[in-house]
Amino acid sequence: MTLSHLKFFCHMKHRGQKLKLLPGNQGHLSDLSIGQKARVIALHSDDAARRRRLLDMGITSGVTITIKRIAPLGDPVGIYLRGYELLLRKEDMANIDIEVLP
Amino acid sequence: MRIALAGNQNSGKTTLFNLLCGTNQKIGNWPGVTIEKKAGIWLGTDIEVLDLPGIYSLSPYSADEEVSRSALFNEDIDIIINIVDSTSIERSLYLTTQLLELDIPLIIALNMADSLAKKGLQVDHKKLEQLLGVSVFPISAKKNQGLTDLKQAITSNTYLKREPKKIFDINIEKELELTQTSLEGRHRRFVSVKLVENDPHFQYIQPSGLADSRTRLEAQFGHDAVEMFANERYRYIVAITRQVIVAVPIRHSISEKLDKVFLNKYLALPIFALIMFAMYFVSVGLVGQLTADWLTSIIGTFELWLTNSLTNWGASPWAVSLITHGVLGGATTLIVFVPQLIVLFLIIGLLETSGYIARISFFLDRVFHALGLSGRSLIPFIVGSGCSVPAILSSRTIENDSERNLTILLTPFIPCSAKLPIIALFATFFFPAYSGLVSFGMYFLAIVVIVLSALLLKRRFFKQKPGTFISELPDYHWPHPVYLLRDVFDKTWEFIRRAGSIIILSSIGIWLLASFSWKFEYGVPTDQSLLAIIGNLISWLFYPMLGGQMSWGAAVAALQGLIAKENVVASMAVISGISHGSGQVGVIFDPNGLFGFFTPVTAFAFIVFNLFSAPCIASIATMKREFKTNGMMLKAILFQTSLAWILASLIGGIGTLIMKGFGS
Repeated sequence: MTLSHLKFFCHMKHRGQKLKLLPGNQGHLSDLSIGQKARVIALHSDDAARRRRLLDMGITSGVTITIKRIAPLGDPVGIYLRGYELLLRKEDMANIDIEVLP
Repeated sequence: MRIALAGNQNSGKTTLFNLLCGTNQKIGNWPGVTIEKKAGIWLGTDIEVLDLPGIYSLSPYSADEEVSRSALFNEDIDIIINIVDSTSIERSLYLTTQLLELDIPLIIALNMADSLAKKGLQVDHKKLEQLLGVSVFPISAKKNQGLTDLKQAITSNTYLKREPKKIFDINIEKELELTQTSLEGRHRRFVSVKLVENDPHFQYIQPSGLADSRTRLEAQFGHDAVEMFANERYRYIVAITRQVIVAVPIRHSISEKLDKVFLNKYLALPIFALIMFAMYFVSVGLVGQLTADWLTSIIGTFELWLTNSLTNWGASPWAVSLITHGVLGGATTLIVFVPQLIVLFLIIGLLETSGYIARISFFLDRVFHALGLSGRSLIPFIVGSGCSVPAILSSRTIENDSERNLTILLTPFIPCSAKLPIIALFATFFFPAYSGLVSFGMYFLAIVVIVLSALLLKRRFFKQKPGTFISELPDYHWPHPVYLLRDVFDKTWEFIRRAGSIIILSSIGIWLLASFSWKFEYGVPTDQSLLAIIGNLISWLFYPMLGGQMSWGAAVAALQGLIAKENVVASMAVISGISHGSGQVGVIFDPNGLFGFFTPVTAFAFIVFNLFSAPCIASIATMKREFKTNGMMLKAILFQTSLAWILASLIGGIGTLIMKGFGS
């Protein structure tokens, strides 16, 4: 068990509810909360056109994404990447694998 | 010579186009304002300029983006001016890498450099030019800067002629070169990329051995070919931008501060409601109350003077009536509403150009998604408060067909500027102190009707899987006063022009029918006129909503609304003019007149019917064009009209019963 795992469990114990990803953890882009930063590992979607659109908009592996804002009703989400802000829904964010950055 | 403007959505292409060609095409601050290809001539030259809808790549995602791709491929274009938004340079250059694969010379116009400076950044455009191998001209389309150099380079043919750059990994480049040798025609590099990508649009050519090479490349890069190319492009771009962006300390931008308020978790929705309320409260309420009475009395004086003068000059009674009631009666009644509309157009213009519309789409997407619509449906619903025609067209940015069709069907429910006089006419008479509130109430009711209809129709439309919402969030821009005022002027002038053309023609038609009997006798009581006969044929339809009144006048007015919605007001004014000597608000609703039967309840029901029933002919034609089938258009109109009839009949019928109950 690594340090990040330990940190993760401690955190869960603290919050006791929704798990929050910590730096070093892997997960989906949709799991992050406002202000968190992550590096994209992979992007998968059954819908080829939609996947291409996300790639075109700059969500390629290795890119750094920061969660900028969440709409008042919880969805969509504003993410900051490549010097601009992109809006997308959580269902699409769930298809993006990330590693949380400090 | 022919030039195409290509670039990302909301990068300022149309602003540049207007500047080059001296035109006034619609500009706005949301992704996807331009949905059609527009052509113009560059002032002082014989160069034709094409303004294309914004695209993020040459793989189109929605109908408007397909327009750009096919124009670039199929039209004879001598030079592409690629507008690169310097505030989002990485994403903008992604398209550039694709455009550079086409066999068309390219020049980069680096736009919004002033906005970038506000973010504390600078682009070294000379360095960028050197790295990309194409001419780069920093411009500010909004402030009309840097265009002389651009024009000079094009007219004197002194821009850089590039050599195709090899931007990908060596193994990919080898494969592209190999594929290219088996191809003929234009854009061979671009087509090779598409073939290696295995793009479904290009599968008609299958060079031998390509599938194996693709597998090899995919294994090397650990991604499928589509992702491999996207990664490679961005890798190349990041290497460039690292060298050209000169970072200066970033200040807190104004957009951020504004969004703290406008996109605040708790304030966002109330602020939106407040803005829409203010729109109608200020236009119909404040300005309407200030100007309507005053304008009505001026027009009344003029009408009286004209009647007297014409009679004194010896004009026969029918000629006097034709001119004062037929030709001028309808149009002058509409002129009363011009000040209110100017304010309405100004507020819509502010919403469109500031960047707020993009934010409304963002924070209401959740709700609209649940209704089978998209956040992008909000754009037509706001634009539609001006006119349904451009609003219906703006739905093209919605990539999902079912969401788009549903949006098109629901957009005409929004009270447009031509329906506003109907609301204002009744509201100023029946609810004089609350005309602003009533108008906003109608907008709000329209939203409620849209939501309920969407819930009702969602299942019917959702034969395919739901769409998505992927959109950039533009920064706020301070609207350019000159463009804003020109836009307001154009829309106001269009209203006046219609009042002076189609409305006058319809009014003359109404006058003729209302003045003559079926035996062509002039001067019969209007009840025996041809118009009354026609109206009586359909007046039973309006029986329930008018609380048990058979009114041929109201029936005819509503029917005239099909030509243009202003006609509802104009027709009532003309009919009242003939039967009662004047078509002014107070006279129209005179208790002894043809429309004297209206009560606040039936007035409300009648407004509701006119608001939600089949839109005007121009909107119907636009709906047909966008649906692409007659059947769908007819179904849509049938749905709208039935819904309007049921709602209005319920309001008028039940409301009247309740009021009678109170009375007894």
